[in-house]
Amino acid sequence: MKLLALMKKEFRRFFGDPKLLITMILPGLLIYLIYTVMGSAIFGGDEQAKYSFKVYVSGESQAVQLIDAAVQKSGHEAEYVYLPAEGVDEETARREVKAGEATALLVFSEGFDGAIADTDASDAMPSALLCYHSEDAASSAFASLAGAVLDAYGRSFVFTMQNSAEAADIAQTMVAGILPMLIVVFVFSACMSVTLESVAGEKERGTLSTILVTSARRTDIALGKVLPLSCVSLMGAASSFLGVVLSLPTLMGISVDAAVAGVSALGYVLLFLLIVSVVPLIVGAIAAVSTLSRTVKEASGYTSVLMILMMVLSIVTAFVSGIGDWVVAVPVLNAVVAMQGILTGAMQVWMCLVAVAVNLVYTALLVLLIARLLSSERVMFGK
Amino acid sequence: MQTETPFGDFTQSEEVVRAEDLRKTFTLSRKQQRLEHTSFPRKVAVDGLSFSAYRGEIYGLLGPNGAGKTTTLRMLSTLISPDSGDAFVCGHSVRRAPHKVRDAIGFMTSELKLEGFFTPSYLFDFFGAMHGVEKGVLAARKEELFARFGIDRFAEVKVKDLSTGMLQKVSLVISIVHDPAVVIFDEPTNGLDVLTAKVVTDFLAELKNMGKSILLSTHIFSLVEKLCDRVGIIIDGKMAADGTLADICGGMSIEERFFEVYRSIKGETV
Ligand SMILES: Nc1ncnc2c1ncn2[C@@H]1O[C@H](COP(=O)(O)OP(=O)(O)O)[C@@H](O)[C@H]1O
Ligand SMILES: [Mg+2]
Repeated sequence: MKLLALMKKEFRRFFGDPKLLITMILPGLLIYLIYTVMGSAIFGGDEQAKYSFKVYVSGESQAVQLIDAAVQKSGHEAEYVYLPAEGVDEETARREVKAGEATALLVFSEGFDGAIADTDASDAMPSALLCYHSEDAASSAFASLAGAVLDAYGRSFVFTMQNSAEAADIAQTMVAGILPMLIVVFVFSACMSVTLESVAGEKERGTLSTILVTSARRTDIALGKVLPLSCVSLMGAASSFLGVVLSLPTLMGISVDAAVAGVSALGYVLLFLLIVSVVPLIVGAIAAVSTLSRTVKEASGYTSVLMILMMVLSIVTAFVSGIGDWVVAVPVLNAVVAMQGILTGAMQVWMCLVAVAVNLVYTALLVLLIARLLSSERVMFGK
Repeated sequence: MQTETPFGDFTQSEEVVRAEDLRKTFTLSRKQQRLEHTSFPRKVAVDGLSFSAYRGEIYGLLGPNGAGKTTTLRMLSTLISPDSGDAFVCGHSVRRAPHKVRDAIGFMTSELKLEGFFTPSYLFDFFGAMHGVEKGVLAARKEELFARFGIDRFAEVKVKDLSTGMLQKVSLVISIVHDPAVVIFDEPTNGLDVLTAKVVTDFLAELKNMGKSILLSTHIFSLVEKLCDRVGIIIDGKMAADGTLADICGGMSIEERFFEVYRSIKGETV
């Protein structure tokens, strides 16, 4: 009952104050705006760029004319080389696409148009193949144009889009390496603003001692801080996280789809669980530091050190390969490594689940520690 | 003499607080040693203190700065625990039943503050819940206390927008939200302007009328003379004199008597 009253008070404090709410939501919005502006400054050329495509075509179809019409309408131009051409066969064409020397390769099955028109043909299903390279901006642009045309061209054929970029692309490694670190940073800063204000602020202003004089249990007081603050922080973290995810495409010049294509529904669930498990842990850590500190200023000093430490470790894990499984026992870092696994398509379910459990255990220990600190006269009433 | 209270009839000599040989020693950090002008790493703040306070009375701990008053009251409020000795509030030991003690006392000091964001009404309910007061009882008590101390008109005004005097009243009323038998008050008028100080002394007098027992600490002689039934003079953590105001003074003013006691202990160094 007392725990409930303590939690309600904390929520009321945040949801009753528009200013605090805005400071929670604002970072995400700002990140999105800044990164989008920054991204389009760096890759801004892309959208208006006029490309000259070099497209290999094997087989024949009216679709090529339609594609060319779409290409010209978008202000690009294209040169079509029909295979087999001088010294080029399908294999070499593929290689050129991959090397970025050619834009794309279109392969139509024999008698493609005729087979599509002849609806009751008992022959093999007609097929079209579009081979492109997503790492190349021109190739991606052509692929999306040609893909749209072919998608609309007819129903009764097999259409395959083949991306020659490697599965574990640079784009993906970038996202996989940096995203978990960004998540940790944003989770941390969300937790930081809320927790410093609520715990260190209350200690500095002396309102925490007012509660200590009542018969509320110290564990209830600690939990009454950590739980609601975690919920509020999660909101702030979600806002920042969305800001990052939405601005990643423009920032890195790649599509999020391409980067996280390998993430399954289970992967997303685990990703979410990992974030949820990290929030109360960080809130608990900052709350403990805040309880130990005399002032908000002192607490934010220690907390910044904690944040930098976590950032450095997160980056290190992204670029050091072959970290042992022991990392699952390290709070926060376990989540970072598990998230990297999910994003690179090397998801280890057991690791994610153990990491979540381990983080919750650490959180419980931190709550007990805070309760201990609250009953310590040296901490609360030391001179 | 008999007094009517919510607890029924009782005789005035019923003991509500008893301190038995309380001792508290602090370990000083380097910085504290410098501030205290000592190279001795330990400071005996309370040194074998014993006294009793009685129901319906106001007991005043009178002593100079650093005598150990705050430390004593904090031990009685279970905020810190004694190194040795024990104290009993309404029969509950501060060592063995700190929760029961906390529910039996209201603790006030100028260091305990209220969060400015909330209203008096909300905070009253919140602290009521912290003490486990039942909802219906809480509502009735709020109405009575808010009306009695003129807070009702400000019940829904955020604490940060209240005047100092009103804020003081609110803090006082909230400290007795759970209808404690004993109110402990460290330096009631310290740092307050004269008007707010009067709010506090009036409040204490009113509490006494309500049948509460009050234990306060102060270094202000006039406060003792005005309010206290019983006084303990505390010097260097030890009880130098203890008894009813009349017995202690013996015809002198409390100020004269205090310095007489002080000189007898510390020599003519005042
Ligand atoms: N937490 C503490 N750490 C170290 N010394 C303390 C602490 N609290 C009090 N003291 C010392 O104990 C002595 C008594 O202090 P206190 O009880 O506050 O006196 P009073 O309230 O009578 O002015 C003082 O010398 C003070 O410096
Ligand atoms: Mg004091």
